[in-house]
Amino acid sequence: MSGSQWALAVSVFLACAVEAVEALTIVLAVGTARNWRSALYGVGAGLLALAVVVAALGPAVGSIPIGALRVVVGGLLLVFGLQWLRKAVLRAAGLKALHDEDAIFEREAAAARDADAGARGRGPVDGYAFTIACKGVLLEGLEVVFIVLTFGANQHDVGLATLAAVAATLAVVAAGVAVRAPLARVPENTMKFAVGVLLSTYGCFWLAEGAGAHWPGGDASLLALIPGIALFAVALVAWLRAPSRLRDLERAS
Amino acid sequence: MRRALLAVWDFIVGDDWVTAAGVVVAGAATAALQSAGVVAWWILPVAVVVLLTRSVTRHRG
Repeated sequence: MSGSQWALAVSVFLACAVEAVEALTIVLAVGTARNWRSALYGVGAGLLALAVVVAALGPAVGSIPIGALRVVVGGLLLVFGLQWLRKAVLRAAGLKALHDEDAIFEREAAAARDADAGARGRGPVDGYAFTIACKGVLLEGLEVVFIVLTFGANQHDVGLATLAAVAATLAVVAAGVAVRAPLARVPENTMKFAVGVLLSTYGCFWLAEGAGAHWPGGDASLLALIPGIALFAVALVAWLRAPSRLRDLERAS
Repeated sequence: MRRALLAVWDFIVGDDWVTAAGVVVAGAATAALQSAGVVAWWILPVAVVVLLTRSVTRHRG
């Protein structure tokens, strides 16, 4: 594999693994607290809906002219990337609560136990478990589909992007089945930081190319953009962590 | 229909419309300068620095 293919595979794998961890936490919570069969039906329905979306959008994405595709996809990736990076920077600086899968699992499970307890076992399918699992898989899955289609179409390698996404999802599901608990030990915040850097970098690169700009050195400029954005984000964390800065922020808030 | 549009807005723009608008402006500026013959690849990296700094200072805590 070439360097750009490795970059594509690693970017898609990391981004999809983060989404899969979030979906797994939701499914584990409603499955444990309510009804496993209904939760798994919900997962099936969510995956079916995703398949329909892929079947509808996949060919359409492929038929869009590459310049327009890069403007739209680059813009969207940059917006998503900056949002991820902002949350990751704030978490790393201690200004936002860390994403805690154990806490999310407990919250989802408590909500599942409290919600319409009478519905449990009344029919063949527990509507609450089905709906929450289906929504969790569908919403997190839509982000996976978006990442696969956009990265894959831009690099002309949807197959590799799909393989990376499937590998990430299988790895997360296998780990979840093995430990039968939320994947609290996955360094999710670090992964989100890395994914934020990668989404921002590719968004920046593709949006500029789609707008007609030419990067010095072509694709090789990514080798400067990725560490450049990562270092800037790390510098922001250090700046926010500085004691005097923290005092200023606390006073202002 | 309204709910669907709100869901799309929430999915794409999230809680920070200024960042989304900034990306659009930076992309448009890149296209405009480039079509005028001015080298414009640097605009988006600068936009990343400005938008991310603004975003983290506005959304802290």
